[in-house]
Amino acid sequence: MSVQARTKGFLDASKATVPLLSVSDLAVSFDNASNPGGPRIQAVAGVNMTLFPRQTLAVVGESGCGKSVTAMSAMQLIPRPPGRFDRGSIRLEGRELLTLPEHEMLKVRGGEIAMIFQEPMTSLNPVYSIGDQILEAILLHQRLEMTQAIERAIGALDEVGIYNRLKERFKADALALAQGKRDLLDEYPHRFSGGMRQRVMIAMALACQPKVLLADEPTTALDVTIQAQILDLLRQLQRDRGMGIMLITHNLGVVAENADVVCVMYAGRVVEYAPVFDLFENPMHPYTRGLFSSIPGLHDMRSRLTTVEDVTNDPAEFRRVPGVVPWWPHMDAAARPALADAREPYILHQIGPQRWLGCWRTPDLAGHASPPPSLDYRRPD
Amino acid sequence: MGTYIARRLLLMIPTLLGITLLVFSLVALAPGGIGAGLQVSGGQMSDTSRVMQMQAYLEDRYGLNDPVIVQYGRWLAQISPLKFGPRFQRSPSGAWVRPPRDLPEPPLQGWFPAASQEAVANAGTAGLAAFDAMKAQDANDRHRALQRDSEASRRAYVGTVRATREALADWARANDRKDLLDAKGAADPARFEGMQAVPGSPSWDALAKAAEAMHVARLQAIERAAAERASFDAQPYPSIGLPLIPGTMWLGPPDLGVAFSRNRPVADLIAEALPVTLLLNLIAFPIIYLIAIPTGVLAAMKRGSWFDSASGAIFLMLWSVPTVLAGVLLIGFVANKQYLGLFPVSGLHDTQAENWTFLPGAGTRGWLMDMVWHVALPVTCLVYGGFAVLSKQCRAAMLDNLSADYVRTAKAKGVPRMEVVIRHVFRNSLLPLITMFVGIFPAMLGGSVIVERIFSVPGMGTLILQAIDLRDREIILANTFMIACVNLLALLLADILYAVADPRVSYE
Repeated sequence: MSVQARTKGFLDASKATVPLLSVSDLAVSFDNASNPGGPRIQAVAGVNMTLFPRQTLAVVGESGCGKSVTAMSAMQLIPRPPGRFDRGSIRLEGRELLTLPEHEMLKVRGGEIAMIFQEPMTSLNPVYSIGDQILEAILLHQRLEMTQAIERAIGALDEVGIYNRLKERFKADALALAQGKRDLLDEYPHRFSGGMRQRVMIAMALACQPKVLLADEPTTALDVTIQAQILDLLRQLQRDRGMGIMLITHNLGVVAENADVVCVMYAGRVVEYAPVFDLFENPMHPYTRGLFSSIPGLHDMRSRLTTVEDVTNDPAEFRRVPGVVPWWPHMDAAARPALADAREPYILHQIGPQRWLGCWRTPDLAGHASPPPSLDYRRPD
Repeated sequence: MGTYIARRLLLMIPTLLGITLLVFSLVALAPGGIGAGLQVSGGQMSDTSRVMQMQAYLEDRYGLNDPVIVQYGRWLAQISPLKFGPRFQRSPSGAWVRPPRDLPEPPLQGWFPAASQEAVANAGTAGLAAFDAMKAQDANDRHRALQRDSEASRRAYVGTVRATREALADWARANDRKDLLDAKGAADPARFEGMQAVPGSPSWDALAKAAEAMHVARLQAIERAAAERASFDAQPYPSIGLPLIPGTMWLGPPDLGVAFSRNRPVADLIAEALPVTLLLNLIAFPIIYLIAIPTGVLAAMKRGSWFDSASGAIFLMLWSVPTVLAGVLLIGFVANKQYLGLFPVSGLHDTQAENWTFLPGAGTRGWLMDMVWHVALPVTCLVYGGFAVLSKQCRAAMLDNLSADYVRTAKAKGVPRMEVVIRHVFRNSLLPLITMFVGIFPAMLGGSVIVERIFSVPGMGTLILQAIDLRDREIILANTFMIACVNLLALLLADILYAVADPRVSYE
C-alpha cells in the first residue's frame, strides 16, 4: 500500500474515537472439576479494557491471570459449561457480544474479530492444504466465486510475505510466478516452518478483513528473528487496515516495541492500564514494578534475580501512590485499608489523564464508578 | 509409492513362507501326525488287510511317508504359481487333470529282484497298445477310464507293497530277529538289504508269495500308467496356465489340494463355504460400523452426558457376554417353540425355499425374506459384541482431536459447530480407525467358529473346525494361507490408506 493511503488511514483512524472493542466488568468462572461442590474457579473477575482502531493493546500478566480467557470470551470460544459468563459485557462497536446468538456469532468470528494463536505448529489442520484452510475462512464470510476466493487467498498470502522467496526466484517470469503462487495453495502445513505457518495463520485470520485481531501470544513459539518479522508484519497490516490488535504476551520486550497501550493483569483483574511509555517510565502498581524488576539486566550482576514477590512484599511499595492503595490480593490483613464495601473490594481507578490503577475500594473511592478505561492513544511513529 | 508397494509385496513372500511352515509344523506335531484323521476313517473298516491297503493307498496318495519337511516342500510346490513338469489340463467338469505320478520302487530288491528291464519295457508297450486301441473313443471318456484303471492298479500295487512289508515283519518275528524291526514293529526294508535270503519256512513262503504278487501288480501298474501317460500327452483337454518353458516350467493358479476327509478339492469346499460366511459378515459389519461410529462421535461430542455413559455401559455390557452363552440363550428362548419361537433354530434356508419365488408371494414368504429370517439370530450374535471396541476407539480419537489446536482455529474462523466436528475433527479421527477397518477383511473370510457352530451354518468357521477335528491338513493349510494372504494385503491397504488420508505420510 502506498504511503499516501497509509497516511490517509492514519488520519481516519485518529479521528475515530468510538472504541472498537470494549470490555467492561467482565467476569468468567469455571466449574471446579476436582471439587464439584466447591466454589467456582474465577478466571476473570471484573476486567475492563478498550481497544481503539489502529491501536495495539498489549495485555500482559503471568500465566492464568485471565488474558486468554478475556480474548476467548470476546469470540464466545469459552466452552459453556464448564465456563460461565458471570457478569459484564464485551461490545464490538457498541454491539454486545456475550449474548449474541450462535448464528450471529459465526459471522463475528473470523469475519469481524479474528484470532491467531501461540502454537503455529499445531494450529493448522494437518490434513487440509493451506489453500483449503484459507479458502474455508474466506468462503464462510464472503459471497465470492471460487476463482475470486482463490485470488483473495493468494492476495492474503502475498500480504504476509509467503511468496517473497518465490518472487525472487521467478523475478523475470510472471507466468511461472503466478503458477507457483497457485501451487503453494496445495501444500500441506507440515511442509512449512513455524514462522511460515504463523504467517499462514495470519493470512487466514486477515483474509476477511477483520476489524479486531486477537493475537494470543503469536510469537512465543518462534525464534527471535522470526518474532521480529511477524510483529513488523502485524504492525504494517494494522496501519494499512486501521485494525485494532489485542496483543497477549509475556514478553515485555515485545510490549515495549509494539504496544500503544499496556494493560497489566493479575488474578483475573486489571492492575494497571497506561500508555506504553508512561508505564515503562513510571510503573505505579507494585506488581508492574515487580514484573519489570524481574527482567534480568546485563550489567547488574546479582546472585539472585528479583522476583515479583520481592517487590510486592515491600509495604513501602503500596505507599507510592498518594491517596489510593493499589489492590493486591495477597496483602497482609493488617496492611489492608478499610473498605467501603466488602463485597466489591476492587476498583480500576483513574488516577491521571492517561492512567488507571487497580485499587482497593476505600471509603474515599466509594462513590467512584469504574467505567472501562478509554485511552485512545497511539505511540508516535 | 509404486516402489513401496512392490517392496511390500515381495516381503510378503518370506512372511507367507514363515506362516505356512509354522502351521504345517503344528499340524505335523499334533497327536497322530498329519495322517491321523485318515487313520481314524480307515479304522472303521472290519477287515485288517483292507485297512492296511487303504492306509497304504492314502499314504501313497498324499505322500505321508515322507519326512515333514519334504511334505512341506511338496505343498509349497503345489501352492506356488510357478510349477514344473507338463501343464495341467482342465476337464469339462472343471476338475484339474494332472499327469500320472511315477510309481514307487518295490522294496527288498536283493531278495526278490525287480522285473527285468525287458518286462518293464514290454509293460510300457502294452500300455501304449491299450491306449492305441482306445484311440477311436471320445477323448474325455477314454482319459477318464484310463485314469481310473491306472489309479486302481496303482492302489493295488501299493497295497501289495504294504502286504509284502507286513509279511517281512512276520518273517522277522518268526525268526526272532527283532533287530530288523523298527520301534513300531514294522519291517524296515533297508535293514534287510545285504542279508542272505533264508528260504524254507511257512513265514518265508508267505513272504515269497506276497513279493510275487507285488511284482505282478507292479507290472500291471506300469502298463496302466503308461496308457494314462500316453492319453494325457495326447491332450484330451485344454491345458491351463501360462507356459514358460514348454513341458518343464509354467505359471498356473495355486493348487489348494484335495481335502483328505472329503476327497474333494479344497477350492470347491471353500467356494461353497465362503459365500455363506461372506453373507453373514456383509450384513453384520455394516451394522456394527453404522451404529458404533456415530455413537462414538456423539459420545465424544456430549462427553460426560447421560448418552455418553449409557452407550458406553450398554456396549461394554454386550461386549462382556460370551457369544457361546448369547447364542444358546437366543436359541433357547427366542427360537425355541416352547418360548417365543420367533426365529428358526438353525440353517440358512427353509427346506422348501428353493421352490419359492424370490420376493414374498404365492402364499410363501419368499426366498429373500426366508433368508433374512434365518440369518437374524446368527447376525445378532456376530454384531452385538462388536460395538464396544469400535465406538470407544472412535470416541477416544474424537476426544483427542476435539481439543486440538486446529479445532480452536477452525472455531475462531467462524466454522459452524457441526462442520467443525465433521470436517475437522472426524476427518482427523479417521486415521486411527483405518487400522481397525482393515481388520475386517481377514475376519470376513475367517468366519466365526462359535456362531456358525451354534446355528449350524455351513460357513468357513464350520469348515475349519471340521478340518481341525479330522486333522485335514489340506483344508487347514489352504485356509491359513488364504487368510494370511488377505491379512497381509489388508495391512498393505492400511498403509496405502494412511498415505491417502494423511498428507504427512509418504512412502517416497
